[in-house]
Amino acid sequence: MVLHEKPLPDFVREHNIDQVTLDIIENALKNIRYEMDRVLVTTAVSPIIREQADEFPLIADRKGRMIVGQFGSPVDTVLAHSPYRVEDLKDGDVIATNDPYMMDGSTSHLPDILLVRPIFYDGDHIGYALQWGNLMDVGGSTAGSIPIDARSIYEEGVRMPPVKLYDGGKLNEDVLRFFCHNSRTPRETRADIMAIAAGTAAGAQRVKDICDRFGKDTYLEACDALLDRTRRSVIELIRKYIPEGQRFEFEDYTDDDGLGNGPIKLKLAMWREGDTLNLDWTGTDAQVPGPVNFLLNKRMFQMFAGVFLISAFDPTILFNDGYEDIINVTIPEGSVLQPKDPAPLSNRLVVMARLFDVLGAVYAKAIGFQVSGSYGTSPNFVYSGVKPTGEPFQTMEILYGGIPAIMGKDGLDGHSWWPEFLAVPAEYMETYYPLIVEEYRARIDSGGAGLYRGGCGIKKVYRFLADGRITYQDDRYHTYPYGVGGGKPGASSKKTLIRANGETVELPSKVRDVPVFAGDRLIFETAGAGGVGDPLERDPELVAKDVRWNLVSREAARRDYGVVLKDDGSVDAAATEAERAKIRATRGPLPEFDHGDLPPLEELSRIVAATRRSFNEWLSHELGRTRLNGVS
Amino acid sequence: MAYNVAVDVGGTFTDVLLFNEETGELIQGKVLSTPEDPSKGIVTGIQAVCERAGIGFSDLHLHFHGTTVVTNMILTSTGSRVGLLTTKGHEQILHLARAWTPGPLYGWMTLVKPDPPADPTDTIGITERIAADGTVLQPLDEEEVRAAIRTLVDRGVEALAIGFLNSYINPAHERRAREIARELYPDLSVSISSDMGQEYGEYERTLTTVVNTAVRPRTMHYMRNFASSIGEKGFGGTLAVVRSDGGNMSTEAVIDRPIQIALSGPSGGVTGSAYLARVIGVPDVLTLDMGGTSTDVSLVLGGETIIRREIQLGYYQFKVPAVDVQSVGAGGGSIAFLSTSGALQVGPASAGADPGPACYGRGGTQPTVTDANVVLHRIPPGVALGGTLKLDEDAARRAVKTIADPLGMSVEEAASAILDIVNENMHAALRVVSVERGHDPRRFALIAFGGAGPMHANALGRLIHSRSVIVPPSPGVMSAFGFLTSNIQNEFAETYLRVAEETPGSELAATVQRLIAQANEWLDSEGVPEDRKAFDLYADCRYYLQNIQIPCRFDLAEIVDGEACTFLRERFEQAHRQRYNFDLPDSPLEIATIRVVGRGTIRGVSLTASTNGRASGDAPVQRHEQVYFNGTWMDTGIYDRANLLPGHVLAGPAIVIQHDTTTVIEPGYTGTVDAYGNILIEEA
Repeated sequence: MVLHEKPLPDFVREHNIDQVTLDIIENALKNIRYEMDRVLVTTAVSPIIREQADEFPLIADRKGRMIVGQFGSPVDTVLAHSPYRVEDLKDGDVIATNDPYMMDGSTSHLPDILLVRPIFYDGDHIGYALQWGNLMDVGGSTAGSIPIDARSIYEEGVRMPPVKLYDGGKLNEDVLRFFCHNSRTPRETRADIMAIAAGTAAGAQRVKDICDRFGKDTYLEACDALLDRTRRSVIELIRKYIPEGQRFEFEDYTDDDGLGNGPIKLKLAMWREGDTLNLDWTGTDAQVPGPVNFLLNKRMFQMFAGVFLISAFDPTILFNDGYEDIINVTIPEGSVLQPKDPAPLSNRLVVMARLFDVLGAVYAKAIGFQVSGSYGTSPNFVYSGVKPTGEPFQTMEILYGGIPAIMGKDGLDGHSWWPEFLAVPAEYMETYYPLIVEEYRARIDSGGAGLYRGGCGIKKVYRFLADGRITYQDDRYHTYPYGVGGGKPGASSKKTLIRANGETVELPSKVRDVPVFAGDRLIFETAGAGGVGDPLERDPELVAKDVRWNLVSREAARRDYGVVLKDDGSVDAAATEAERAKIRATRGPLPEFDHGDLPPLEELSRIVAATRRSFNEWLSHELGRTRLNGVS
Repeated sequence: MAYNVAVDVGGTFTDVLLFNEETGELIQGKVLSTPEDPSKGIVTGIQAVCERAGIGFSDLHLHFHGTTVVTNMILTSTGSRVGLLTTKGHEQILHLARAWTPGPLYGWMTLVKPDPPADPTDTIGITERIAADGTVLQPLDEEEVRAAIRTLVDRGVEALAIGFLNSYINPAHERRAREIARELYPDLSVSISSDMGQEYGEYERTLTTVVNTAVRPRTMHYMRNFASSIGEKGFGGTLAVVRSDGGNMSTEAVIDRPIQIALSGPSGGVTGSAYLARVIGVPDVLTLDMGGTSTDVSLVLGGETIIRREIQLGYYQFKVPAVDVQSVGAGGGSIAFLSTSGALQVGPASAGADPGPACYGRGGTQPTVTDANVVLHRIPPGVALGGTLKLDEDAARRAVKTIADPLGMSVEEAASAILDIVNENMHAALRVVSVERGHDPRRFALIAFGGAGPMHANALGRLIHSRSVIVPPSPGVMSAFGFLTSNIQNEFAETYLRVAEETPGSELAATVQRLIAQANEWLDSEGVPEDRKAFDLYADCRYYLQNIQIPCRFDLAEIVDGEACTFLRERFEQAHRQRYNFDLPDSPLEIATIRVVGRGTIRGVSLTASTNGRASGDAPVQRHEQVYFNGTWMDTGIYDRANLLPGHVLAGPAIVIQHDTTTVIEPGYTGTVDAYGNILIEEA
C-alpha cells in the first residue's frame, strides 16, 4: 500500500506566527463570515435570501484556497475558465458567474450566482472574498429557473461565464442589465446581486482590517497556519474514528429525474489507508436525461466529508481547504454526480440530499454509532402568474421535512436540514403574493418510528387567489427516508391539487408549470425522516406525548411502538407490555437499514415511468384548459 | 429633603442607588437578593441606604425599579401554564417555529430546542380568518371560542393567549375572542397578539404573546408584593419600572406587558452611559458591561441610545423594543480550553458563581478569565472580591497551568493568552455595533462598567482604537444609575408596508396622528403632565422587499399634504450607503413601519461636578506590586479609588481598587480623574 505519493501541500511546515495571534486571526475570520451573511440577508430582496438565508460566504487565500467558509473554494477553476489570469486582477474587481460547468460544480445550478472579489492590500494580492446567493429567477423555460423536464442546461436559464461585474470598482452596468433582462424578476435579481457584492466588499474590507492590525505578512502566514492546523486536526479525527482495513459501503435512491427515469442509484464506498480517507462513488448510476444531475465538485465533497467528522466530534475546528489532500475522492465521469456539459442540472437538490444520506450512512457504518436516519425533503416551490391588479408575481419558497433522529435525540419536526434557513411566514407570503396559507402543521405519523423518532414532515395547504402556474421539485415519493438500527423509515412525500370545483388530483413529486386557478388548493406534504433504534424500546410516556401533540396517531402508537393508550391518553402499562411482547414474538430480526416496503427495482422503474406518463397526459389536458381560459 | 432611589434586582445581588436631589450626592448599596421573596432584599437594600442618608422611606419621591425576574422565568421556563388559541390549521405554530437550525452544515445535530412555551396540548385552533389586507375571509366562530376556552380552563391553564393570523392588520377577531374569555372567566389573564406588535410575522408575534402571558401572573405578584412591602415602610412616591428600551412605566403597565422589562438591567447601563456621555460632553460612546458570564456592548450616538425591535433570550427571539445590546459569552467566569486543533478558546461556557473560577477556592479546576487576571496580578494579591472573598492565587496558577503545559507556554504567557482571546471576543462584539454599522470607533469613547469591565477596558479601547476609555465612579451599579436617568416611555407602531413614492402626505399624517393620540393617551394614563410630553416619530424604511428596517426620524412638519412622502428617501439612502456602501436608485422605497415614541420626561438624577475638592498631579499610591504586562512583570502602583480626587493623574501601569471592581491602566496609558469622578484613560 502506497501512502502519500502526492507531495505534501506547501502550507505543511513550521509557521512563523505565535499561537495567540493565530487564534485571534482565526476568530476574526470566523466573524467576517457572519458579517458577510448579515449584510446580504438584510439587504437582499428575494424571500429565498432574506427570509430563508440561502447563501454562503467564503474567504480564500492568495492561492484561492478556502480559509473560512463552508463549501470549499472554486477560485482556481473559475479563473481557469475565465479570460483573466491572476495577474490581470486588480483592487475593486468582482468576477461573477453562474455557470456550474465553468466552476466544476462549485455552484451546481444556474440560479446560484457566485461573486469572487480579489482582495488587495498595499497593492499586493492577498486573497479573495466570495459569496454565493440563490437568485429568484435567471430565465429559462419556467419561473424560478428550475424546469423539472429540461433536457439540457440551455433550457435552464441565462448563463454568465466568469465576467468582471466590477472592473476596478466600476460596475459593469451593461453586463448586469443584460443578465437581469433575461430574468422574470429583473428588479429583484439586480438588487440581490448588488447585495451579494456588498457582502463580498464587507469581507474584503475586514480582511484588510486584519492586515492593518497584524501586518500583511502575519496575515498571510496565518492563512497557511490555519490550513495546516485544520489538516492536522482532520487527520487526527480520521485516525481516531475511522477503522483501517475495512470497506464501508452504502447505496440509496433518488426517485426519478422528472422525465420518468428512475430510481437513480447513489453508491458510496469509504475506506482508510493510513492518513488518507478514500471515498469512491463507483457504482453510482449514469447521468440521466432530466435535470437532477448533480455536478459534484470534488473539493466541495471533501469539505462535506470532513465537516461531518468535525461537526460530530469537535465543532470548534475551523473548516477550510487544508485537508484537501488527505481525502481522496473518486467520482465516475458521466455519472449522475459528474454529468457532461450540457446535461441539465437545475433540479440537483434531490440528488444532493440523497448524497448526504448516503454519506451519513457510510459514516454510520464506519464509526459504529448509529448516526442518523435519512432526512425528509426540502423542496423548492414556485407560484407565478398575474395578480388581479395586472401586476406579475412570482414566489419562491423552500419547504422543510423531518430532521433525522440521532442516537440520543428525536428528529425535529418540519425543520431545515440546511443550516440557518428559515420558513417563510404565512403573513409575509399573504402580504406580497395572492395566496392564503390555510394550514401549516407537522404531518401526523410521517416521522419514522424508533427508540428515537424521526422528525415529521410538514403539511402546508395553499389556496391560490390568482390564476397562475406552480412548479416544485420534491423527491421521496416513490421511496422512503430510511431508518437505522431497527428504526422505521419516514413517510414519503405527497402533493394533492384540489380544484375549486372539488376535482382532486394527486401530483408527482416534481412538476413544472401546472396551471392553477383562483380558488384551487394545493396540499403540500414533505417527507418525514427515518428513526433510530428499536421503537419497542421507546419510553411509552414519550409516545403518549407524541400522541397528545398530534405527531403520532393512537393507531400508530400501537402498531409501531406497541404502546396502548387509555381513553384519557395516558399509557396503559400492562396492555403496552403485552402488546410489545406480541410484536416481538412475531417480527423478524431488525434490519440495519430499513428502506421501507419497496417493490423490486424493475417494478419500481416501471411505476416511476408510468406515474410520469399519466401525469404528462393529464397536464396536456390541463394546459389545454389554460389556453381556453386565456392565461399564459 | 427630596430623594430618588434606583433598585436593580439581579439573580445574586440587589443594587441600590440613592440620589439626593439637593446635594447631588449618590449613595450606593448592595445586598444579597432574596429570590424566594424578592421584596425582602429590596426593603433591606433601600433601608440600608436610607439609614446611611439619615432618611426614611417617606422621603423617597421616585423609585426606579429594574429586575431580572421576567428574564429568569423565560430562561428557566417557569412561567404559568398558558393556553393558546390560534387560527385553525396553524395550531403547531410554536412547535414548528421558523424551521431554523444552527450552522454550520450538520448544525441540526447540536440544536437543543425547548418545548413550546404553550404546550401543544393546550393549543386549540379556531375557525376564523382575516386576510393580509384586513378583510374578513371567515368570520369568528364564537361558539368554538367559548368551547375552546372552557376546555383549556378545565384542563388547568392559568392564563390565555390569543394569536390569530393577520391580526396585526385587523385585530377584531382577537379582541372579540378576548371579550368572550372575559365574559366566561373574568379573572383569567388574557393577552392578544395584536396588542404585542403591529408587524407581520405570526410566529414571533404569537411567541411574544404567549411568553408575555406566561410571565404575567408571577410578575403581577412580584410587583404588587414589593410595592406593598415598601408602601408599608412608608413609601408614598411614584414607582417607575425600567423597560428594555431604557424608558420606564408604571407597575400596572408592566403587569400588562411584562416582556417589555426583560432586559431592564442591560438597558440601564446603556442609558446611564448615554446620560454620562451628554454630561461630560462626549456624545458618541461605546459601552462595555462585563460581568461573570457575559458581556453586553452597545453604542450611544449623539447622546442617544439606539433602539432595536427584537431581543434574543436563549433560544427565543421576541419582538419588543430594546436598547440595541450585543451580548457575547465572555465574562470573568468564562472557561479557557483547547480544541482538537490546539486552538485556544475562551467561553462561552462559564464556571458561573458555583464553583466559580479556580481562585474562588470552591472546587473549580478549569482556568477562567478571572484566574488569568489573578495569575497576572491584574487583581493584585490580597484583594478580596466584594471585600470578603479571598482569592487563591495558587489554585488559579494550577488551573492556568493545565492549558499552559500543552501549549508549551509559561503560566504567565498562557494567562496573557487567555486575556487576549477573551478580549478578542469582546472586540468582535464592539465591532458589530460600530464598524459593521458604518461607525468609525475612533470617534467614540469607551465607557466600561460591570464587575469585570474596568479590568479589560484599557485593552479593548486599544484594540478598537477608541479615543478614550471612561471608567465611571461606581462601575458596579451602572444599571441602577441608568434607571435614575430614565424617562416614562412607550412605543406605538403600525405595520405600514407602503411605497413612499405612492403614499400621499395626508395619509401618512393621519396614521402618525393616530399613533400620537395613542401615545398621548398612554402618557395620560401614566400621569404625565402636558409640558413634560414629547413624541418622536420614525418611519422604518427599506427598499421594496428588503429584510432591513432603517429608522428614519422625521417631524410632522416635513409631511406635505398634497405630495408623496419622498422626503424620506434621502434620509434612508444616506443611512443605507453608510452601512452597506450601495444604493438602489431604481428600487421603490417601502415604509415598513410607522412608530411613535411617547416620552414623559422626569428627572431622577442630575450630575454635578464633584465638590470633594480638586487635586493636581499624581494620585496617592497605596502600595506597589509586580503586575504582568506585555510579557514581563512590571512594578505597578496600586491605588484606592476612594482616595482619588478630580485632577489626579495615574501613570500606567497602574491598578485602581474599589469595592466592586478593579481598574487596569496599561503601560503607556495615563488615567486622569475628571470633575465627576470618572477615570479617563488615554494614551500617554
